[in-house]
Amino acid sequence: MSKGSPGLFLNRLWLPLASLGFIALLAVAPWVVANRAFGGKGVLVTPWSVIDLTGRASTLPELGWLGPFFVFWVVLATAAALLSFVGTPRQRARGLYLLGGVGLAAFLVEAYLFYQAVWAVNNTALAEGVSPRRLPLKRYTLSLGAYAGFFYSLALILAGRLQLPGGRAFLVRWRGVVVPLVSMFLAVLAGAGVVWLLKDVPAPEGAGRLAYLTIKLDTVTYTFQLLFGPVLSLSGIFQSLLLATPLIFTGLAVAFGFKAGLFNIGAPGQLTMGAIAAMLVGVYLPGPRVIVLPLAIAAAAAGGALWGAIPGWLKARFGAHEVINTIMMNFVAASIFLFLISANEYTFFGYTVHLPFKYPGYEARSYEIQEEARIPMMLHLLGFDGAGPGHLSLALPLAGVLGLLAYLLLRRLELGHRLLAALGAGVLGYLVGGYLPGIPMEVSPSLASVRLNGAFLIALFAVGFYNYFMWRTKGGYELRAVGLAPKAAEYGGVNIARKTVLAMAISGALAGLAATHYVLGGGIDEYRLKQSLPTNVGFDGIAVALLGQNTPLGVFLSALLFGVLLTGGLQLNLQLGISRELVTILQALIVLFIAAGGFLPRYFVDPLLAAKEEQAGKEVV
Amino acid sequence: MEAFLIALFAATLRSTAPLLLTALGGMFSERSGVVNIALEGIILFGALAAAVSTQLLEAPYLAADPNSRVWWIPWVGVLIGAVVGGLVGWVHAVISIRYKADQIISGTAINLLAFGLPSIILSYLYGNTTSSQEVVNRLPTWGVGAFQFSPLVYLAFLLVPVTWYVLFRTPWGLRLRSVGEHPEAADSMGVNVYRMRYAAVILSGVLAGLAGAYLSVGFLNQFIRNMSAGKGFIALAAMIFGKWHPLGILGATLLFGFADALAIQLGSANILPGALIQAFPFVVTMLVLAGFIGRARPPAAIGKPYEK
Repeated sequence: MSKGSPGLFLNRLWLPLASLGFIALLAVAPWVVANRAFGGKGVLVTPWSVIDLTGRASTLPELGWLGPFFVFWVVLATAAALLSFVGTPRQRARGLYLLGGVGLAAFLVEAYLFYQAVWAVNNTALAEGVSPRRLPLKRYTLSLGAYAGFFYSLALILAGRLQLPGGRAFLVRWRGVVVPLVSMFLAVLAGAGVVWLLKDVPAPEGAGRLAYLTIKLDTVTYTFQLLFGPVLSLSGIFQSLLLATPLIFTGLAVAFGFKAGLFNIGAPGQLTMGAIAAMLVGVYLPGPRVIVLPLAIAAAAAGGALWGAIPGWLKARFGAHEVINTIMMNFVAASIFLFLISANEYTFFGYTVHLPFKYPGYEARSYEIQEEARIPMMLHLLGFDGAGPGHLSLALPLAGVLGLLAYLLLRRLELGHRLLAALGAGVLGYLVGGYLPGIPMEVSPSLASVRLNGAFLIALFAVGFYNYFMWRTKGGYELRAVGLAPKAAEYGGVNIARKTVLAMAISGALAGLAATHYVLGGGIDEYRLKQSLPTNVGFDGIAVALLGQNTPLGVFLSALLFGVLLTGGLQLNLQLGISRELVTILQALIVLFIAAGGFLPRYFVDPLLAAKEEQAGKEVV
Repeated sequence: MEAFLIALFAATLRSTAPLLLTALGGMFSERSGVVNIALEGIILFGALAAAVSTQLLEAPYLAADPNSRVWWIPWVGVLIGAVVGGLVGWVHAVISIRYKADQIISGTAINLLAFGLPSIILSYLYGNTTSSQEVVNRLPTWGVGAFQFSPLVYLAFLLVPVTWYVLFRTPWGLRLRSVGEHPEAADSMGVNVYRMRYAAVILSGVLAGLAGAYLSVGFLNQFIRNMSAGKGFIALAAMIFGKWHPLGILGATLLFGFADALAIQLGSANILPGALIQAFPFVVTMLVLAGFIGRARPPAAIGKPYEK
């Protein structure tokens, strides 16, 4: 721990600085929002003032504890800052752990006191006979001042870990998480900057400069509260899953390419071709459901696979760079797409050609997918028929749980058998669950209106496939070898050309499967091909793959995160009038910052240096 | 027929100009060894900056007199568009040269940013997310008869011999090419690899920004969301097709510009469906890359961050 000694550096400079910033934030930021009206105006409470933007604050909860807590945090931050100048590393670490733990506990107490106080006010009003719709305090939350304490405490605990020997190696070992998290944090900061600059806030007359700052900080906080808000309601979660589904597919597609050392920037085109193929089968192939639906899904994958395999082949055969080719293929796919559904009659050099694909009318769209080829709605799969009371069928949840349990528990078995066992357990769970009585539940209209469909389950399977193929099969091992060191893989007997085509085909197939959501699952409001097919999710897949660091779980989680943000973006537009494109900006910034390694030192980003750091950490411990 | 051909010719030159500006910019960047697929986004940033700054500058004059025309305003708008383009290019340079990031990822991020940020700025300034207010003071057009062109069109074609001269007849051009072919060798000869690359990428941003400014205050009179419509990528394609050479790029952009003009001029006339003509540049580029139409060889050190 002698050379470079980041612990000391962190101590003497960063900790006191962070503490100072923290105290400044505590002094300015609103701690709680006692009541929030539509349009973002709220009753903001800081330790020394109440700023009422709604103009209707009749009753406030009992918030006398804010002052003492402010003093407490200042003492805690000062102690932490002073601590960095004394003692041995081990003592400092212990002290920081202690302070961080106390801080977290204090945050919990704050939250408890706040909600108690709010409920007390509302209960009193209820007891006085006020109708539940007209409660005095609605939509109340803790705000930045309180959250700051929480995050500061976490930072103290982290700083404590960094004091100990091997602290830096600890961070470097977790770089797969640290780099995305830091990048996301920076992106959120930059996004906050954009909101700060571009969002005017209503300051009441005579409000001082300090109050203005408080209101600004509240607006920025509220923006992100709205963005992350969907996780708090069931319909919000469903909507998030709906928007996450295509992102899972395209994210997996890009990640698959990355793992094989290929940059598949052609997910938009592959998605388009998958959609076209799915439409062709779904509209024109007659037959029973058990045949048409699987074939339509397979067609979506095949369309994407074809569009991915072509640049793969061009690279393998002619050495043409896949990035340029996939970009070009995106535009070609868009042309074919428009050609097919925007008109039915074309003239080539005077000869007239008739096509059957466009649905009559002004709008560019195809005929409807037949009933047999549609993927059912998720609610339907769970045993409900629309809004109203119903029974949650246990078939699907039980199938999932049992299948996963079997896969996780039967580690002794050989892989093929293990998969078979998991499949068997899943089927068993489905049958048993189907016979069990369902759980009675009420489906709200807002939940029933979310068009989350079975494509989400296909996405889950795709995640499982990615994990299985990439890390559990010989083919996947070879692909990763090609991605890491093509020359070495070639000497090892891998046919690089064939692997390139294969990787691009599978990557394209994954992107093409996103069409199951849009076309077969009715993700764009109708069961057909429409001009509004949002091919841009293909590019969003790049952000998803990078944020997820190309791991199956990471891709899944980051797709969910973006699903939540996109859902929250709708509220953002409604309530604050901020364009939901803020989410696109966040995505772009996350990609940019991850590309720059989160602006972290080189030893995080460079694999060789990182390995050296980890080794050094082990030697110390 | 003659009128149609003349109109087609003029339209070809107009469609070519932004492609040419962007492709020449991309050429500098790639010749120095930095892939710049952010060109598409930079065009949008340049277009937005030019339209917004022109509109904001002319607003006080128009408030005083709705018919007032001030000749220098669009020129300042174009300048600001170019500067903003250069700034975005600088961001790409910092991420990919200083932080040694994957240049394609960095470029993709900038393209994503150009998709989102304009909406936010537009909704702040004009209350809608898709287009800016129309500007009154557009760039003038110079020329005779049917050949009325924005000055930026002349500039684009003038830049072809200039870039040729700079690239192949000046020491700076030699250094630039050497940095893209063999940075270690260039470094050992005392060329500052990083500085050359920064200069080239920023220059590519400036030219793409100019192309954007041409679109928003030269060709049209407002910024429309996604108005570049793939022009940055077509320019990239033209640069490859033109084999990273100014004259080749001129030929390629003329061809693609012609395809574009043809699609517009024909409209629904009965030779080829417009949707398919639009795919033409992309298919041609793929054929070129595959070596069916002459072999394209990129600079040797392209896409690789330089480790000193």
